Order: sequence, then structure tokens, then C-alpha cells
Amino acid sequence: MLGRPFSELVHRLRAVVRRDAVERELDAELRFHLEREADKLMRAGVPRADAERRARIALGGVERIKDDDRDARGVAFLDAVRQDLRYAVRTLRLTPGFTLAVIVTLGLGIGATAGIFSVIDRLMFQSPAMMHDPGSVSRAYESFELRGRPVVNGYFEYRRYLDLTRWTSSFSQTAAYADARLAVGVGQDATEMLVSRASASVFSFFDARPALGRFYTPDEDRPPQGSLVAVLSYPYWQSRYGGRSDVLGSRIAIGEGRYTIIGVAPQGFTGMEAGATASTFGGLALIGTQGNAAGDASPVAWIPVTAYAGLRSRTFADNYDWGWLNIVVRRKPGVSPARATADLTTAYRRSWEAERAMEPSLAPLDVSRPRILLAPTPLGRAPNAGVEGRVPFWVGAVALITLIVAAANVAGLMLARAFRRRREIALRLALGVGRMRLANQLLTEGLLLAVAGGLTGLGIGWAVASAFAGLFGASVPLGGGLVGPRTIVFCAAVTLLVGLATGLAPVLFATRGDLAAALKAGAREGTFQRSRARAALVILQGALSTALLVGAGLFVRSFANVRALPLGYDVDHTVVVELNLRGLQLSNAEQKTLMQRLTDRAASMPGVRGATQMVSIPFASFEGTGLSVPGIDSVQRLGPFQLQIVSPGYFRAVGTRVLAGRPIDSTDRYGAPLSIVVSAEMARRLWPGQNALGKCVKVGGSPTTPCSTVVGVAENTITRGISHEAEANYYLAADQMDRPAFGLYVRVVGRGADFVEPVRRQLQALMPGVAYVRVMPFSDMVDGAEQSWQIGATMFSALGILALVLAAIGIYSVIAYNVAQRTHEIGVRIALGARAANLTGLVLRDGLRLGVIGMGIGIVLALVAGRWLSPLLFDVSPRDPAVVFGVAGVLVGVTCLASAIPALRAARVDPNVALRAD
Amino acid sequence: MPTSQADLLPGTLDLLILKALSLQPQHGWAISERLRQVSRAMLDVPQGSLYPALHRLERRGWIKASWGPSDNNRHAKFYELTRAGRKQLGAEVDAWQKLTTAVSLVLEMQ
Repeated sequence: MLGRPFSELVHRLRAVVRRDAVERELDAELRFHLEREADKLMRAGVPRADAERRARIALGGVERIKDDDRDARGVAFLDAVRQDLRYAVRTLRLTPGFTLAVIVTLGLGIGATAGIFSVIDRLMFQSPAMMHDPGSVSRAYESFELRGRPVVNGYFEYRRYLDLTRWTSSFSQTAAYADARLAVGVGQDATEMLVSRASASVFSFFDARPALGRFYTPDEDRPPQGSLVAVLSYPYWQSRYGGRSDVLGSRIAIGEGRYTIIGVAPQGFTGMEAGATASTFGGLALIGTQGNAAGDASPVAWIPVTAYAGLRSRTFADNYDWGWLNIVVRRKPGVSPARATADLTTAYRRSWEAERAMEPSLAPLDVSRPRILLAPTPLGRAPNAGVEGRVPFWVGAVALITLIVAAANVAGLMLARAFRRRREIALRLALGVGRMRLANQLLTEGLLLAVAGGLTGLGIGWAVASAFAGLFGASVPLGGGLVGPRTIVFCAAVTLLVGLATGLAPVLFATRGDLAAALKAGAREGTFQRSRARAALVILQGALSTALLVGAGLFVRSFANVRALPLGYDVDHTVVVELNLRGLQLSNAEQKTLMQRLTDRAASMPGVRGATQMVSIPFASFEGTGLSVPGIDSVQRLGPFQLQIVSPGYFRAVGTRVLAGRPIDSTDRYGAPLSIVVSAEMARRLWPGQNALGKCVKVGGSPTTPCSTVVGVAENTITRGISHEAEANYYLAADQMDRPAFGLYVRVVGRGADFVEPVRRQLQALMPGVAYVRVMPFSDMVDGAEQSWQIGATMFSALGILALVLAAIGIYSVIAYNVAQRTHEIGVRIALGARAANLTGLVLRDGLRLGVIGMGIGIVLALVAGRWLSPLLFDVSPRDPAVVFGVAGVLVGVTCLASAIPALRAARVDPNVALRAD
Repeated sequence: MPTSQADLLPGTLDLLILKALSLQPQHGWAISERLRQVSRAMLDVPQGSLYPALHRLERRGWIKASWGPSDNNRHAKFYELTRAGRKQLGAEVDAWQKLTTAVSLVLEMQ
């Protein structure tokens, strides 16, 4: 039963692979037959020559038998393909200019698309390396309502993680982790590197065996203090420890603790964030997860969550104060995501109630409606990815449009070429080449060009992806190895599509039409055929580039608007200093003295306007201190309110203006009446229409807390992403809260970035022991907000300009071609007395007509599609007239330019030459 | 010269070849000669279609080929029936007999 198809396959394969041998065999067999037949006839008395002739007649046409046999073997197709390829290569080599133009154009179009796709792939589809069964793993996000609007957040408290693990039954595994940059190493070697604080259960999510030693166990990861053990990453082990096996048992300083190395992760293991091994591209390092400065994309070590947390606070697992962990869960087999989500939500609500028991000012369940959302592991699929998450798709769409423009260009070029070859094609058709065969051959040419373009595109795509990764920066983590297998497949698919589309154009053109007319065709025709197809292509290009440019213009305006927003603080002239004591124990008095010395030293440096101590992490504290205001029953409902604990001089150092009253200053000492400064937005929310100065706010939530009096109202600040809703902040005096400072704000004259190194050197000299200071411009900490608009503007503009250039080239080539075709006619016109201006006008009108029609269609397209673009814009209508008219003007200008060269050439035609030429 | 020749029904060429080979392995020319002789020249197998048919049968695994010396010491491609081929021959003979019986029955009807 099975024998027959198998035998067929073997024989067919042989026919393909050893086709020469097979052909020779057939030839020998037929010759033998002829010999025997001739012999038979000769023995019957027929003379030799006759006998051979009759034998041949009896057999029938030898070539036909061979052909039939070949057909039966099914190799005819392959033969044709081989021939077509050879012919295509030969023909293309004859016109290197055309070939190069096509390959470069296609390369640019395919490359842009492939590059964007690889970024999207990494963001949205790639699971962490070596993860077992990624389909059953999800990330958890909490969602609750605040003032009627849902808030989504991916960071959880440790106790919450315990609650969710204990009180659900749908999961075979849960894990919590947080990657951050911590100081690794001691003394001179101390550098900030990405370290993953991960629960022991993290390792069980992966099919990974340690390369050396072992992973830590849940026993070593219990609150209140986990074991101080660490697992190194493979690259770090290789680079820092030379891959030596005696690294086990030695200690490594991470943050404030000393950890014993117990194992090394296998090669390729990067933990819970997707990505191949870390790498840098041309100096542009790819960015880590927590909005910190550039660094490696995968952790150098894993330490138990409870080990790190226990060092920072003995009570971290007892309360819900500190939300810093990502939670990842694996559903049990057979559990649907819906059921898992419901299970988690129930557990979360129970946990919320437990938190309320400790913190009565927390909003009740019916108000906040807390629930859990599950999303796939790639970070781009987070429910709160928001606008940033959508930008890659928009850029992808734009890249696709550019690709279409490029393909249209190529199709036009190929059409022109087919037109030029129409005599040759007509001849071949007349000689009997089948239409199908001819079509195949033209298609092969198109595909060959497309493949060459595709390979070029792959290289360009790699460059594009690197550039994009560099731009994207802090919002999204990207690993190395940007061109993965999926991107290559995508590239191949796109190449095939484009090859078919552009190859078909000349095919459709060439195999229709009147053979006789084509054979007789020559330049000496009375009129010439305007190629409608080419005109249509150029109009398409014009329309698409117009639409793209309108999009680009809108984005650029949005970006300009965003930049013009008053941030409420001054990033350019401030430098931030962070102390890192590295576990050095200082008494309160010693710490205060150190801070004072640092502040004084900084303030005395040339170019420094002032220095003030930093007590809160800038713009990053929701410290959960309940607020209550007499006369308002639930302040929480009006929140969230961001707290900044500040020293005197803060407002001047950071550049936040005080609109009424006074800033926190040195009168707000410990023991003096409690003061608070609120932002204008907070004042508006709590006491609408009233003067906030003098009002009472109880910080601490209970009714017996003494009042903090509002002494000043500060301007609003934007720290959490651009939106139309202002943020509400309040400021408390560091002295009155008895909180130690851990850094400085230094206000300088000139650019903050210029002062980073001098400040660091001056202050590092004052630091005791292993402690060190980290200095960075303020802008480094808060730059993220504008980014998505910047990216949108850049990408849209770059691709829009590319599309415009391609369209311009398209217009130019069509007009130039038309002029070349009409040389004879132009010669006649000149001979009859036409002036240069008339001719130039003639050609320009030709070009303008194409350009204006394209532009018109493009603008209509842009206006229609604008609806979808508007959520991505800021304070710009998608029908902004300035942008639309501006783009229209640009396109008309470019069209004129593109037509100008052929127009000038038309004017300089020598009628003698033109009239005599054929 | 044969005056009247029967046209081969499509598919019967395979049957004839298989039968010819069931007696002994032969090369292509010998098969063609044999068929002519045995059918008393009423069957003139068009020699041109013989070889594609032989190769087709070879692909299907019903006959297998090997090169060897012929009776006049020249190199020739010999075909012989495989076991699967023998089974196929039996099946085709059955089918043929059924067909002819059926046709005869129809022709005898009044």
C-alpha cells in the first residue's frame, strides 16, 4: 500500500537530482530500440539506410518521446524555472542602472518595514527566553477605580503577593520579581548593574538548569529575612569571573548586602523579561526596565526577594506600604484565563479588605472596585501600555505605507522597462513562445529583483531596528539580537508579495495588446501613448506620501505643543546627587553632619546657585500617608496625591514657582507648627473656589493628628506623563517629618549636564569608606514624559520624507520618460516655432497634473484617517489647516522640482536631431 | 501490412506490458516485438508510447529495471515484474474480464 507513493517519490527525486543520468539512460534506451528495429529490417533484406529510416519512422519522433517522458517525470517545470532564472540574470545585468535603482528602492521599503516589525515582535510577541510553556504564563496587573476612573498598575506589595498566592487555587506556580539597578561590587569596582530580586519560584518557570552550582530554594526565600545568596548570569560569570568554577562560595556585594554565590544561570537565560543576551549597538546601550539610565538588558545576578527586602526593612512583609514587585503566574492545565482572573480578583478583594483593616482610610471595595487583570508576558501587551504601547503599531503602519510607495515606484520602473521592450516581447510571442511561458519569465525577473531587494532590506532593517531601539529608550525594555527568525520569515513573505505585485505589472502589460502594432512600433509615431498605468502609480505614490506627510506634520506639532507645556520644574539647570552608603552604618547625627557638609560644599562650588537636600525620591512617592481634611469625608476619593518631603530651598533649586504664600523654609523646624505646601491642583480639588492658605490638613489620617497649615500654593507639575489632567502634589518639611536626606538638588548656572562630573568629584571626596555619590542631570530622571510624541514625530517624519523622495523620483521618471518619448513631437513643435517657455510649460503642466491629483487624493485620505490618529495627538486637531496647507505646498513644490529637469531638457531639444531620430 | 488494427483502449497498454513481462524479463524493443507477434499483428502498439508507459510503470513500482547485456551483447535496459506488479496484473486481468463480459452481455441483448 505504502509502496506505490514511496516508489513514485524516489523516482521523481531521482529525475530531479540526477537528471543528466536519467536523460542519458533514456537516450541509450531509445537508441538501442532503433538499432534492433533496424537490424530486424536489414535481416529481412532492407538496405541499411532505408532500414534505419523506417525504424525511426516506426518509433515516432524521438524528441517527442523524450519530451513526453520528461513531462511525465514532471521536470518540465523545474527546467523552465532554471532557464528563466538564467535569462533574468542576464537581462538584468544588461541594465545595471535600472537594476540598482529597483534593488535600493525595494531595500529601503522592505528594510523599514522589517525593522519596525522586529521591534514590534520583541515588544508584543516574544516570551522570555527558555520559558516553559509560555502560553500558560501571564502577568498580573491590579486595576481599581480612583475618582471614577480606572487606574492600572503592575507593581504589587510583597504581602499582596503572599495573599494572592495563598488565596487562589488556579495556579500551579506564582512568582514575584523586581529588576533594578543596584550597586554591585566594592570600592573602585562598584558599578550600578541590573540585578533581579526574584522569588525562588521564578526559576521553576523555566526549562533551565544551572550551568554551575544550583538555584536558591523557597526555604532560602522566606520573610522576614531571606538567605543572602546569589545566582550569577552566564555572561557576567564569564566576563567578571573568567568562567572559573571556584566562584561558588565567594561573596559578592550587591546593594547593601554581601551575598554568597551559589550558582550560575545557563547561557541564554535572561529571567522574566524577554530578550537575548545583552549587547550594545554602536555605543547605544539599550535601556532597562525602571526608567533608569541606559544599561544592560538582562540582569547580572538573581537574589532572593526576601533577602534584599529584609535588609531594607524587617517589616516589609507585614504591611502594604511598598509596591515594587511584578507578579507572574502559571495557570494550571485546563484553567481558562477568565477563571484564573476571577480567582485572582476574589483573592485581591480579600486582600484589599485585609489592607483596610490596617489602613482605614483606604477606599472601600464598592468605591474602588479592585480587580486583577491578566496579560501575556511581553511587556508591550500590558493593559496599561497606553499610548506608548500603540506607537510601534502606528509606526509599523507608516512603514507599510512607505513600502507600498516603494513598490509602486518599482512597478512603475518595471512597466517602463516592459514598454521599452515591447518590440522584443512581441517578436518572441510571434515566434511561438507561449504567453504563460513569457509571463513566467517576466515574473521571474520581478521575483529575482524582489529577493535581492529583500536581502538588502534585511540589512537595512537591522539598522532601522537599532535606531528605533535607541530612540525608544526608557519606556520599553529591548534585548539584543534584534533580527530574529520571525522577522526573517516576515521579510521573506513581504518580499514575495512585493515581487509578485511588481512583477505582475509588466506581465499584464506585455502579454496583452496587438502584436502587429507592437512589432511595427517605433518612435516615429504621431502621438504617443501616455501610460495610464504609470500615471496611476505615480498618483498613488503622491497620495500616500501626502497622507504620510500630513501625519508627520500633525505629530511634529503635537510634539512642539508637548515641549511647550510648562513642566512646573526646571530640568535643564539642575543636577541631582544620590548618596549610596553601601551598608555603612552612620548614626543620625553623623548622617546629618555628612549631609550638611555635602550641601555646603556643593553650594560653594563656582557656578552653583544653590543646593538643597533631597528627602523624597523625586516625583516617585505615593507613600500611603493617609490624608484627612476637616469638612471632607473621603480625601482618598479626590486623590491620588503625591507627596514630596523637601528641605528649605527646594522650590528654588528645582524651579517650581510658588503662586501664593511661601515655600517651605527654615522656619519649618522640628517642634514648630506643622506646615504644608499644596499644588494649585490639589488646592482646587480640596477647596474649590476658596483660598487655600491657612487651611488645615491632617497628615496621618487619624482625627487626633495635629493640623498642618497650608502656608503656600505651588504651581502644578507634570511628572507622570503628559495628559490634560493636572497632578496634585503636596510638600512637607523634612525637618518636621524627621526624615533624613539621602541626596541633593543642585541648581546651577548653565546646563546641568556640564556640572555632573565636577560635582561628583567634589562630593565623592567627602564620602566616608565604601560610600559613593551618584550624580546625574535632573533631566535624566524625568525625561520619559515627552518620549512617545518625540518618537512619533521622528518616525513619521523620517518615513514621510522617504516616501516623498520616492514619490518625487517616481514623478521625475514618468515625466522624463514622457519627454523622451515625445522628443520627436517636441522637435516638430520647435520647428514650427514653439518657444522654450511654451515647452517648459507643457512639461511642467504634465507633471503638475499628476502631482496635484495625487496630493488631492492624499489629503482626502489623511482627513478620513485622521480620526484614528487623534488619540495619539496632543492639542492638535487631525484636520489642522496649517499642516494640511503646508504639506500641499510642499508636494506642489516637489512636483515642480521633479518636473523641472525634464522640462528644461525638453526646451533644449535640438529639432534637427529630434526630427531625424527614430 | 496489417489491414485492420484494433485501437488500444486507454490503460490496456499497462495490462499488456505487465502480462508480457510476467513470463520473463525483457527490454523495451522485445516487448514491442512480442506483443506484435502474439496478437498476430492485430495489435500494433505505437512504439512511441511504449517507453513512457514503461517508465510510468517503473515509477509506480510494478516493474523494476536493470541494465544488462542483451542477446547480441549490447547494453540494454531490462524490465521485470515485481511482486506488487504481479498482484496488479492479477487485478487488472480480473477487471478486464469483467469489462469484456459486461460488454458481451450488452451486445447480446435483443
